[in-house]
Amino acid sequence: MGGELMQAGPRAKRQPAWHMLASEFRDATLNEKGSGEFDPSFVITKLGAKVNRVIVAGLLERLEVRETANGSTLYQGQLRDPSGQHYFSVGDYASEAMRELTTTLIARIEVGEPELVLMVAKARWYQTEEGAVYTSLRPEEACIIDGKTYANWITRACQGTIERMNAFSASLDLEPTEQAYSASESIPANLVEGLVTSRNHYGEIDLEQYKLNIMQALDIAEGKMSSATKPVPVAIVSASEEGDDTAEGSDLEECILSLIRQLDQGDGVDFEAVLSNANARGFSRPDSEAMLDELSEKGIVHEPKFGWFKIVE
Amino acid sequence: MSDGQFDSYIEAVKKECPDADSETIAAAFLKYQDDFKIPPQDSMRSIIRSLNSSKSVPSARSGGSSSSSSSQPKATKKVERLNELKADDKEIEIEVEIISHNMREQTIRGEQKQIAFGLLEDNPWAENGDKNRWDYKDWAPSPNLAPGSIVRLEGVSVNEYQGKMSLNINQSSRVVVIREGTRTVVAPGEAQDIASLPTDGYVCVVGRVLSSREDQIHKKDGSGSIDIVRGRLADESGIIGFLSWEPFGHEVGTLIKIDGAQIRTFRDTPELNFGRTTKVELFHDKNFSDAETLSKQTVLTVSELRDGARDVDTVVQITEWSKRTFTKDGVEKYLWSGAIADPTGRCRMSAWEDLPIDVDSLPLTVRLKGVRVRAWQGIPDITVDTADQVEILDESPWDDDIDFSTHTVEVGLNELATGASRVGVTTEAIVVSVREDSGFIQRCTECRRVLRDGHCATHDANDGEADVRMRLVIDDGLASMSLLINKEGSLGLLAMTEEELSSEINSNGQLDFVQTLRSKMLGRNIRASGRTIVDEQGGMMLADSAEIIEEDAEMKATEIRAQWGVN
Repeated sequence: MGGELMQAGPRAKRQPAWHMLASEFRDATLNEKGSGEFDPSFVITKLGAKVNRVIVAGLLERLEVRETANGSTLYQGQLRDPSGQHYFSVGDYASEAMRELTTTLIARIEVGEPELVLMVAKARWYQTEEGAVYTSLRPEEACIIDGKTYANWITRACQGTIERMNAFSASLDLEPTEQAYSASESIPANLVEGLVTSRNHYGEIDLEQYKLNIMQALDIAEGKMSSATKPVPVAIVSASEEGDDTAEGSDLEECILSLIRQLDQGDGVDFEAVLSNANARGFSRPDSEAMLDELSEKGIVHEPKFGWFKIVE
Repeated sequence: MSDGQFDSYIEAVKKECPDADSETIAAAFLKYQDDFKIPPQDSMRSIIRSLNSSKSVPSARSGGSSSSSSSQPKATKKVERLNELKADDKEIEIEVEIISHNMREQTIRGEQKQIAFGLLEDNPWAENGDKNRWDYKDWAPSPNLAPGSIVRLEGVSVNEYQGKMSLNINQSSRVVVIREGTRTVVAPGEAQDIASLPTDGYVCVVGRVLSSREDQIHKKDGSGSIDIVRGRLADESGIIGFLSWEPFGHEVGTLIKIDGAQIRTFRDTPELNFGRTTKVELFHDKNFSDAETLSKQTVLTVSELRDGARDVDTVVQITEWSKRTFTKDGVEKYLWSGAIADPTGRCRMSAWEDLPIDVDSLPLTVRLKGVRVRAWQGIPDITVDTADQVEILDESPWDDDIDFSTHTVEVGLNELATGASRVGVTTEAIVVSVREDSGFIQRCTECRRVLRDGHCATHDANDGEADVRMRLVIDDGLASMSLLINKEGSLGLLAMTEEELSSEINSNGQLDFVQTLRSKMLGRNIRASGRTIVDEQGGMMLADSAEIIEEDAEMKATEIRAQWGVN
């Protein structure tokens, strides 16, 4: 009830919410935080969105409770949209309604009842010791939605992503400065700051993946489920059949999988342990990191909690 | 039933869950696809997991790396307050608010250079509290410095001259904007359009004098008065009032260039101030519009009325008009007031003299000249001081069929959130929050404010009167606003009677009721009509009607694809 009063600190204006697909949010590795007590913090995506708050939706894929060291309760979950997944957490700081919804959802997921969830969430990020950055979400409010509302959300997220891609493409011909971007008619005012920061930080980026995400997401919104269906990822099959992989990455893949198998004592293996051990076997950290991502995407390994990896059984 | 479309997926799932039967798996895939719009590649993990749900994931250890801030060692002196600095300090890092910012040309070692100078203030995040101001000079003017902005200066140094300390921002210094200022820096001598002037700072303007009269300002302490000149200046983009503290001899119609005028904002209306350092000179431009053409722009629409505006001309329709008497200092006085409108919105009007208006023949269209604008609870209120400011028109310049008592204007949320308060507007945006106090509330019987725990902030404990309202936050991706929907609008939106609402909340509880609202509204497009109040705290819409917009995702997706042009 008093929430609004508490937020009404000096110059605290509510930050707008971005409709965003998981792939764009997950790819972000840059953050920005002013030093004032009430300054909002932002995750800046490759497409130049300066994100403090998002509206996301998707299939609730996992939701588990974790007891933390200080005795508080933390729920962690994953939300999958057509482009990938969001990680989110709900802690004691969340509103009573949000925590109550979380326990309802846990009960649903335990009995294998699928739910589509829409959430308005704050963007969070953290950096590991070796500098890897993970983004995640802290939902403020959420609700269970139906397929129709999900499809509407998809169209909005696609539209937003396309607008950002267009602005990003326009920015490539310009000096990455606020003056140049502000003067361009192809770059909306709310993207100027984020795009300058993004261009100076990320360098070249490939839009292809985002385009594919949008095409598939639009197929889903249009109800063309068969076009949205991809062939079974071979990796799942080969993982259980063991090794008819051809790619040159297969050595690295095998190395990482065997490392996780060996080191896992029940909780999974932490990011650093995987990377440093792979490094000792002659694989560079960026390569190993990319492979871990790939294996997670394929569903061969999963991350029961952030930065801890297990092989999917 | 699945026509084999999931066969390869079913195979894959069976490899993971050999005990599951194909029918069950196929049904699961179909359910995900049809009910939830989740294609098999995305639902497969969930299906495998639910089939294997007996194998639980081991609970991970607690902890997790805390975010480590990487601070590299450097010989920086980081301070919070200016008075921590000594005269020979260099490589300083400090956060300050830029109070003023001016440019000037200076000859340094025979070379013409632009430098920027002004005042800055420490302790920028404290609302009040004690703050120190210093002069600064920026030797390589950074585009990031703007009045009102809060910046982190890195690598700046102290300059002491005759016991007075100031900061030098050098070529190698870094200026990080933490909070944007209200204007961008414009080089001196570069004139800006009047319509796009900032709300404070120093500017250069080229414009024609539309009016000019001598006036006096009486000092509050009674110690005398100051002669000033007030007037108005226009270019093709707009009109702005000015106040000259120096003698101003330019006649009406003269085209002048003013450099270094300071903008001050009175209520919501900016005004140019000419002082000792302001340069006013004649300007020559044959193509510049004449005074008559320019003064037509004084005609403002209702949506353009701002608190504190003077010399306003407007054409409006009076829809209500009534007389009110009151006693002040034992003398009975009266005031006429009523509602007015034009196609851009509605507001109020007051008059201190009798106007030639027949209340029975309303609505009437009138032209108002030279009137002033005050705002009351955010709603502009035109003040008519003398009857000769009003001219009754035979016909209105707009369509006669517009019924102004119900007319509303479509305005984008961002425009509403960043503009002045408006009446009679409709907007569409996404619901991003349903506040927990939506539903029944108790209002103070004296002042209608919402009671907290049975108490009113000014009238203390009282029984209160039950009312229904919904409190949402709406967002268009650019700005957000609180949306308060009154009883009638709330019940309409919920398609419920007050009794139905009351019984639902009583049987399911407030928390559950609000969560049901979220399921219906969160992330959905809502269309609301009413009035807005915008102040420094943000914007608020008081709506008397609202509806959730039904959307056709399939059509919209096809449309997006077509516009995008990628296939």
